[in-house]
Amino acid sequence: MSPMKLCVPGERLCSTEDCIPGTGTYLRHGYIFASLAGYVLRKNEGEELPVMSVVKETETQLLPDVGAIVTCKVTSINPRFAKVHILYVGSTPLKDRFRGTIRKEDVRATEKDKVETYKSFRPGDIVLAKVISLGDVQSNYLLTTAENELGVVVAHSEAGAQMVPVSWCEMQCPRTHAKEFRKVARVQPEYLQA
Amino acid sequence: MVKRYAATCTHVGNQNIMAEGFKTADPLEYHKSFLKENCRPDGRELDEFRTTTLNIGPISTAEGSALVKIGNTTVMCGIKAELAVPPSDTPDKGYIVPNVDMPPLCASKVRSGPPEEQAQAASQFIADIIETSEIIRKEDLCIEKEKLCWVLYCDIMCLDYDGNLLDTCIVALLAALKNTQLPKVTINKETDLPEVDLLKKCSISVNRHPVGSSFAVFDNTITIVDPTADEESLATAVMTLVIDEEGRLCSLHKPGGTALSGEKLQDCMGRAVTRHREISKLVDKILESIKK
Amino acid sequence: MPVDRRRIRGPDESQSPYHFISKESQKCLASGDRRSDDSQRGPLDIRPIFARCGLNSQAKGSAYIEAGNTKIICSVYGPRETERKDETDMKSGRLVADMRFAPFACHKRGAWVQGNEEKDLSLGLLESLRPGVCLHKYPRSQIDVCVMVLESDGPALSHAVTCASLALADAGIEMYDMVLGCTVRHTGTTQLLDPTFSEVQDDQDGVFVENQGSVTLSLMPNMNQVSGLQSDGVMEQESLKAAVQACIEGCYKLYPVIQHTLLKTVRKNAPPSEN
Repeated sequence: MSPMKLCVPGERLCSTEDCIPGTGTYLRHGYIFASLAGYVLRKNEGEELPVMSVVKETETQLLPDVGAIVTCKVTSINPRFAKVHILYVGSTPLKDRFRGTIRKEDVRATEKDKVETYKSFRPGDIVLAKVISLGDVQSNYLLTTAENELGVVVAHSEAGAQMVPVSWCEMQCPRTHAKEFRKVARVQPEYLQA
Repeated sequence: MVKRYAATCTHVGNQNIMAEGFKTADPLEYHKSFLKENCRPDGRELDEFRTTTLNIGPISTAEGSALVKIGNTTVMCGIKAELAVPPSDTPDKGYIVPNVDMPPLCASKVRSGPPEEQAQAASQFIADIIETSEIIRKEDLCIEKEKLCWVLYCDIMCLDYDGNLLDTCIVALLAALKNTQLPKVTINKETDLPEVDLLKKCSISVNRHPVGSSFAVFDNTITIVDPTADEESLATAVMTLVIDEEGRLCSLHKPGGTALSGEKLQDCMGRAVTRHREISKLVDKILESIKK
Repeated sequence: MPVDRRRIRGPDESQSPYHFISKESQKCLASGDRRSDDSQRGPLDIRPIFARCGLNSQAKGSAYIEAGNTKIICSVYGPRETERKDETDMKSGRLVADMRFAPFACHKRGAWVQGNEEKDLSLGLLESLRPGVCLHKYPRSQIDVCVMVLESDGPALSHAVTCASLALADAGIEMYDMVLGCTVRHTGTTQLLDPTFSEVQDDQDGVFVENQGSVTLSLMPNMNQVSGLQSDGVMEQESLKAAVQACIEGCYKLYPVIQHTLLKTVRKNAPPSEN
């Protein structure tokens, strides 16, 4: 394989007649230019033309996007919503913390009117969620956990031990065997042996 | 990837949790799991300092300067000398004015504006060391009694903050002072104005050589040396010991936190004495190399 | 006058020893850095540049530039949440630039508090950089560019622009192009590119000199567009035109060094064998 081509922002990569612009690039006057310093990648993705993108060593996703799965930590709760800090976008850790909100109606998909935020999350819980909107000027990122795979993944009991999920809405403390309510994320069995 | 992380997190036992995920999810437990094994996340022993590097005299616009790195933590000290009238209560002494600054570029949490608490506390701490240990005799800064003296502005700037600010600042200050050269100043008898001769410069005599050693305490049992920013924020107490070349204690700074036994304190003293030897050796070596 | 209790204060009044330099040693100070002595450099040559990326462990990206004795360090933080809610822009990110001088950076000691000159420079830096950054990719967030001049010997702004754009690229912030800065000092009929501190000093104290001034220009080299232009002093139209041209050429001389620095950083962070 030939050595991989490197580029810096502003470099002209090719014409739009040859490639489709991918990540780390932009279009100007019918040409594709690099917007990042990194390696130039040309990939065939089943389309007519290959996709031209520029990749850095780290993933370039720096901001939570609509539809992205994020890992967050619950910071506070009130009857209407839970406030969280977003720690990861996908598997990329964020250097700076972004705040998000999970509203009561976005906690689960069914029986939305019966949701009680206190029985879904507690401060300190680690939650998997999906971004549904960037919010507006006043509010934070809006997140949802209304999917089976989304919800609490790590939680500590009142005794301070890490709890084990026993059902989709309960977790149990291994020390005191007390059960606590949570909106538990279903863990896909094929990943369990990892 | 995410799902696997989720799967392993909910899986009983936490051995399988991805280190990075564990670190963000529960940083304290993450650090403790290392300390239990008598090591630290960055691979250091409990009583091991990070690599310390020193660059003396990088700034030519300053009378004296030094750049010090302990691990990632980087501090630059520049000394500017100005002329002033000696203080009226001590007419035979000059001034030393140390200030520690943490500009917004040194860490993500620092916002622009006046110095934050940590920088203010560090400034005062450095000022106290200068005062009590007499690094420089203030009498040496007097040019003519009641008329003219030097003011040494020691501006210490943090360029990269990853814990252990105080130790780094003290080394930077010491190295910069040893590098300081003041021009010859005479007072013109006729005009009564000072005359500065930049061609004749002389060093100032550095009287004592204080060196700091910082420790972080976890739950009153484990003490670690030279904490990083993460370790500092998780520790139950932090402490800085400042020792001079004869092994005398110049200053002990322990702002609150959990208690520490006398025995532990003795151990720390011992470590601080060795640290002094290491640093003096380094400073001498670098000074020797720039003379050539 | 309000007292600053957050800093250790010195005497109420102190003066720089450079005010009282005797005649002979003044000569030695002035002649130390004349270009005529510097046999290597012609009037339209830039100083050799040393540049590095990724020195700051805390920042998303960082860069350091050394041109002669001018030493500048820059850190980029973000994209992160905007500090103030009312400044949040849903459509595009906010670029914030903060440029300051270390108190020991110049012959005369500077103050800790950011002065008007530094505020002007920060604004100049921001306006030069903004056209180069793809801000629409970072909605409702803010990108902070912090520049610290550790030692100033000549045009700080132009080197700060170059240093900041290196740091932005190191941070992985998407950019339309790199932004490079260059300064020309024009006196009478001579033009000096990338002047040193002593070269920008007015030769006659307080005497008005005709056709003397400096031009600082920021260029996006691939697009061949000028993103910032600042001119001080009084210059004839022709001289100004020539100065702008000289700056543009200076930027192109700088570009290979900057390009090389960036590529080296990319290679260091991810060796090519990876995929």
